[in-house]
Amino acid sequence: MLSILLIIIAGFFFTGVIIRTKSIASGRKGPGIFQPIKDVVRLFKKGAVYSETTSIIFQIAPTIYFASVVMAMLVVPFGNSKGIISFNGDFIFFAYVLALGKFFSIISAMDTGSSFEGMGASREALYSMFAEPAFFVLMGSLALLTGHTSFQEIFQDLHLGSYISYALTTLATFVLVMIAMIENSRMPIDDPKTHLELTMIHEVMILDNSGFDLGLILTTGYLKFAIYGALIVNLFIGSFDIQYAIPLFFTIQFLMAVSIGLIESFMARFRMNHNAQFIVVLTSVSLLIFFGVLLMLGKFI
Amino acid sequence: MFELEFLLRSSWILTLVFILTVFIVPIKFKAFFTSSAIILNAIITSWMAFPALSGSLVYYSFYAGSFLGTIPISIDGLSSWFILIVNFTSVTGVLYGIGYLKKQTESASKLTLHWILYMLFHLSMVWVCMLQNGLVFLIAWEIMSLTSLLLIIFDNNNQKTLKAGINYLVQMHISVVLLTVGFIMVYYKIGSFNFDAIGTYFISNNNILLFLLFFIGFGLKAGFIPLHTWLPHAHPAAPSHISGVMSGVIVKLGIYGIFRVITFLKFDYLLIGEIILIISVLTGLYGILNAAVNRDFKKMLAYCTIENIGIIGIGMGVGLIGVGNGNALLYYLGFGGALLHVLNHSLFKSLLFYSAGSVYHQTHTRNMDKLGGLIKDMPKTAVIFLVGAIAIGGIPPFNGFISEFIIYSGLTEGIQTNSISQILVFVLSFAALSIIGGISILTFTKAFGTIFLGNKRETLNKKPEEVSFIMLLPQYLIILVMISVAFVPSLYLNSAGVILNSFFKNSFVLNSSILYSYSNTLLNISLCSGLFVGIISFFLIIRYFVTKNRTEIIAPTWGCAYVAPNNKMQYTGKSFTKTISKIFNFFIIEKKNYRELDESEIFPLKRKYESNYFDFFEFRFFDNISHRLVYTANYFKFIQNGRVQSYVIYGIIFILVIFLITALNII
Repeated sequence: MLSILLIIIAGFFFTGVIIRTKSIASGRKGPGIFQPIKDVVRLFKKGAVYSETTSIIFQIAPTIYFASVVMAMLVVPFGNSKGIISFNGDFIFFAYVLALGKFFSIISAMDTGSSFEGMGASREALYSMFAEPAFFVLMGSLALLTGHTSFQEIFQDLHLGSYISYALTTLATFVLVMIAMIENSRMPIDDPKTHLELTMIHEVMILDNSGFDLGLILTTGYLKFAIYGALIVNLFIGSFDIQYAIPLFFTIQFLMAVSIGLIESFMARFRMNHNAQFIVVLTSVSLLIFFGVLLMLGKFI
Repeated sequence: MFELEFLLRSSWILTLVFILTVFIVPIKFKAFFTSSAIILNAIITSWMAFPALSGSLVYYSFYAGSFLGTIPISIDGLSSWFILIVNFTSVTGVLYGIGYLKKQTESASKLTLHWILYMLFHLSMVWVCMLQNGLVFLIAWEIMSLTSLLLIIFDNNNQKTLKAGINYLVQMHISVVLLTVGFIMVYYKIGSFNFDAIGTYFISNNNILLFLLFFIGFGLKAGFIPLHTWLPHAHPAAPSHISGVMSGVIVKLGIYGIFRVITFLKFDYLLIGEIILIISVLTGLYGILNAAVNRDFKKMLAYCTIENIGIIGIGMGVGLIGVGNGNALLYYLGFGGALLHVLNHSLFKSLLFYSAGSVYHQTHTRNMDKLGGLIKDMPKTAVIFLVGAIAIGGIPPFNGFISEFIIYSGLTEGIQTNSISQILVFVLSFAALSIIGGISILTFTKAFGTIFLGNKRETLNKKPEEVSFIMLLPQYLIILVMISVAFVPSLYLNSAGVILNSFFKNSFVLNSSILYSYSNTLLNISLCSGLFVGIISFFLIIRYFVTKNRTEIIAPTWGCAYVAPNNKMQYTGKSFTKTISKIFNFFIIEKKNYRELDESEIFPLKRKYESNYFDFFEFRFFDNISHRLVYTANYFKFIQNGRVQSYVIYGIIFILVIFLITALNII
């Protein structure tokens, strides 16, 4: 229960912090931290424009996308306290529930019959496909390390003791941050502020969404960031008490948002046709973690 | 046992009576007549099979003449599981077939033959699951292959169909040869064709050799790579009710055979398990990659069948490694997941073939890039296809997730061992399974998106409309069963548990508390799926009330300021998977056929661009081999010269040679 509250609160300011960081980095005054939330509220109040090509799929897809993220949120634990749902192998459930949302967002883009939105849909499907093994190998190695297979038990048993484990946690953080970037279509995979439809991924998929649906999609994006942030936090706060864990949670989420803002300010986006290779590299980083775990457990003979 | 004997006989007599009377039934009612026969037969054989699911072995034997001797028939849990799957899919297939063949203007005799074959086909599949004697098993197996061949080439005026049929025929007979050799090997050592003899053989002989023989033989039917090449040809060629049954069931009988042989194994579990696991992982990846790029939607589904065989194989591999390690949990998770996935796949794959068949029925094209926007004309079929697509991707809240989750759990539990090679195999399979899941999302969003969504890409001759109720009914039935698997998995898993309890009894001590915790987990999952459905509907209701009174404007799709878009400019299935086919171009062979623009061509005329994907193994290996064979065979053409005189001489020479070598005591 606690984790959901914290994730929602973090979701409130996360994107705002990114935008604020970017504006400071580029020397602009920039909007306030809560501007994204104000945008969403404004969208919720608006009517909508639907394409004449679209069917019922287009109307229900954003809601299912949102619901899938809410469901995934229920699985995420917070340190010692379990998520609302917790069972052996719940991280598989987590990944597959998110997949349902992705499935619907992809087909809703196909539903418009546009020549651009299919392009975004195809890229989204491809990149998230490549990101999947990175997440699974990472969780598999953590499961091997701790001997457990549910999020909460894995994180609780993840003690930071030896030097190797620090290295592994750093790598794990890197992998999770990059997966978060891919899932949320941020730099260096996708540029949310790009101005050409041909180079967009996520933004081009939602070109035709408007009003309430667009608001839902944006909210989903904020929550998704906060969920991945929470997973990263969990890597560190496994056995801490609540009075330390909560401030740490917000600090790490804040740091993550700031660093994403900095990355987006000072880095160019990758070439679209090399993105796939970059994402595959993530899997090899995950494999590195896996070998590190084998080393720690002394399974190499 | 009296009851079994009675049921067996009545099923035989019933089929015979129906086969003899289907001739005189008017052409309109032939299909209904056959379906009543199939349903009756299904009820009878399910009645026989049902008690076995709760653990009681049904045993019976009959005397079949001096050559074959006494034929043992027994239905244990494993047979029963497959018989029930066969029955359900055959019934839905025949119901769908009523509607599917209704508009066909075929002659009465052809339809009669088709339905007679269907009855024989159904019965032979049931018999394959029951017979416990190698020779008789092969006869039933052969009847199954031949009847299915004749069912596939229903559209026999089409040359491609015939070619696919011959391909199937040849490959199935290679499989039969291997199986025969396997049974003869056992007979040579043990002196019996009964299945039990395989177990006796394994006690004192090399396990791996005979197992591989059977694995290749049955694997040809199941479609493990590189033995899969008949699948992508046969499935599109067959009428849809047949491809549904073929993909749903026949392929699974290959799995049944492998399963049956596995239960007799005595040694080398680990090695065999790892072999199966690795081949299956590759099969899964290969199948889904090819499914992703193919635009013929029935071919796409055929490749997807290969992928699912891979997933089932992963489960079996995990289970065998569990037996080898003496780890009961792995055994139950691996084989349990495999069994459940056999059931699940037979459900959603036949569902997808039926709904794809409905699309073909209305549009007469299998190329998804010619379709589009069908959700407006065929909304029910579209929703059915969507359900199948989500389920086959293993996405909750449908049934595919349950079995994939069990197999995933098997892999995560398997990681906790001391053998480094096993850990590596498990982690890599884990990653591969997640890639398979990812690509299957890509595949099915492409298929659903291009067939049913957007605008029509080409004008069809006839406006497609929703298919008749009799075609939709079997699909609804399948969805009902799918939902029951998704939300009450314990119903099916208990039976799977009973089946697994009866094998490998001495290999490990059962720790029931761990199994209990897993059955708890599965209960949790179905609850979570329920909760998920609840959350989705909750937000949909909220959305409905919030947007009820809002203004709603209908406008054209945003074309990025381009004002004259046409339907051809939509994103196509081909372009959707272009990137992935480019990344895996070492494995996915694309052949393009087009003419470049000349420099002097100032006003280019209309031109064609064609691009096709080829099967890697077929294109690179089998085609080469068969071309060489045909080339060599050409040199011996002079033997078959059509003159009767030479044929008489061949006969005389043959007799002379035989006479001489016997007379001189050479043999």
